[in-house]
Amino acid sequence: MSEQDDERERGPEQPGGPEHGGAREQGAPGRAGGGRPKAAPPAARAGGLRKELPEEVPGEARAGGKTGAEAGAAHPAGQAGDRRESGSAAAPELTGRQRLINGLWPPRVTRAQLIVALLLFGLGFGLAVQVASNSETDSALRGARQEDLVRILDELDDRTQRLEDEKQGLEKQRDELENSSDQAEEARRQTIEKERQLGVLAGTVAAQGPGITMTIEDTKGTVEADMLLDAIQELRAAGAEAIQVNGVRVVAGTYLADSGNGVSVDGNKINAPYRFKVIGKPQDLEPALNIPGGVVQTLEKEQATVAVERSTKIVVDALRAAKRPDYARSSSQ
Amino acid sequence: MIAVLGLVVGVVAGLLVRPEVPAAVEPYLPIAVVAALDAVFGGFRAMLDGIFDDKVFVVSFLSNVVVAALIVFLGDKLGVGAQLSTGVVVVLGIRIFSNAAAIRRHVFRA
Repeated sequence: MSEQDDERERGPEQPGGPEHGGAREQGAPGRAGGGRPKAAPPAARAGGLRKELPEEVPGEARAGGKTGAEAGAAHPAGQAGDRRESGSAAAPELTGRQRLINGLWPPRVTRAQLIVALLLFGLGFGLAVQVASNSETDSALRGARQEDLVRILDELDDRTQRLEDEKQGLEKQRDELENSSDQAEEARRQTIEKERQLGVLAGTVAAQGPGITMTIEDTKGTVEADMLLDAIQELRAAGAEAIQVNGVRVVAGTYLADSGNGVSVDGNKINAPYRFKVIGKPQDLEPALNIPGGVVQTLEKEQATVAVERSTKIVVDALRAAKRPDYARSSSQ
Repeated sequence: MIAVLGLVVGVVAGLLVRPEVPAAVEPYLPIAVVAALDAVFGGFRAMLDGIFDDKVFVVSFLSNVVVAALIVFLGDKLGVGAQLSTGVVVVLGIRIFSNAAAIRRHVFRA
């Protein structure tokens, strides 16, 4: 046993002067490094393992004469015996475990214990406070740093801005869709309305409204097509909107021709009595027929009898098939 | 034993009292706690090594806390507070791990 080993052996048992303890207390780097010159010879003897087991191994290895690895696996009882043997030369050396047990039980009220207890009280207090304040759900941002808060705020602002932009875009799109659907609906409605109006003029749809009924009785067979045409012209001039004669609709392209003892209207032969159903303003239509020298007088001069009757509801239900013009094309859009 | 009792009493007191942390020290409390943990682990290891000294422990405990808080404070002033506090936590974590390894060897011999 060399002088150096004795020196090292006593080292841990020394009461721990300020410089001595300070070098070890500063943490792992100082301990593993050159902060403790006395550890160098054992380290050289036990090889690389020495560095990993800086405090525990030297005593055991020296006492038992084993390497660090063997000492680590050795039975504690055997080590205790070895230590007692070595204790004759120096103060008894304790393992870390024994030091821990000694420190824990029995409780000793010493200055060191009280001071450490005070500091640990502070640590536990701070730990608990920090954990409690950190786990409060409603204040997740409490512990955040100022720059983090600013960053979070910026991100929220950006996000708000993006969402606002998106919302505006979507609202605009919605308005456009609503307008376009409104417009399409309006256009469709107008188209239907126009189709009805044009259908009344073209004779493709039935019509009803106020108007007159004119019945021409022709017992002598003197009524000819031109007289009926005059009557139709007179009615049109008086504002007739829909006319039918004996179940034949009279439209813009209607023609009349004499046909035997009857009249042909658009190729449909009709016979007396000629029954006109006319939609228009009755107050205009009836006087137009009855004016002196007008239709009624002319017909009566030909021995025909004419009866004109106003009505608030005339139904013109004779239809014409819609015919696509062969040559005429709309020049408007 | 008294020391362990002190730690337990501190935790219980912190949980029961739930004091409002002043806004000024709020960023530094977590770092200070980690630094104190490092000092406690170092002290524990020193105790197992048989070289524990209460004066050294007190000084290292307090200086650890103060230096850690100071670094974070300085980092805040320099605008790198988040990075510096991360670095401090990493360094202290490494030290805690190395101390814990030494403690483990003492206690479990493995």
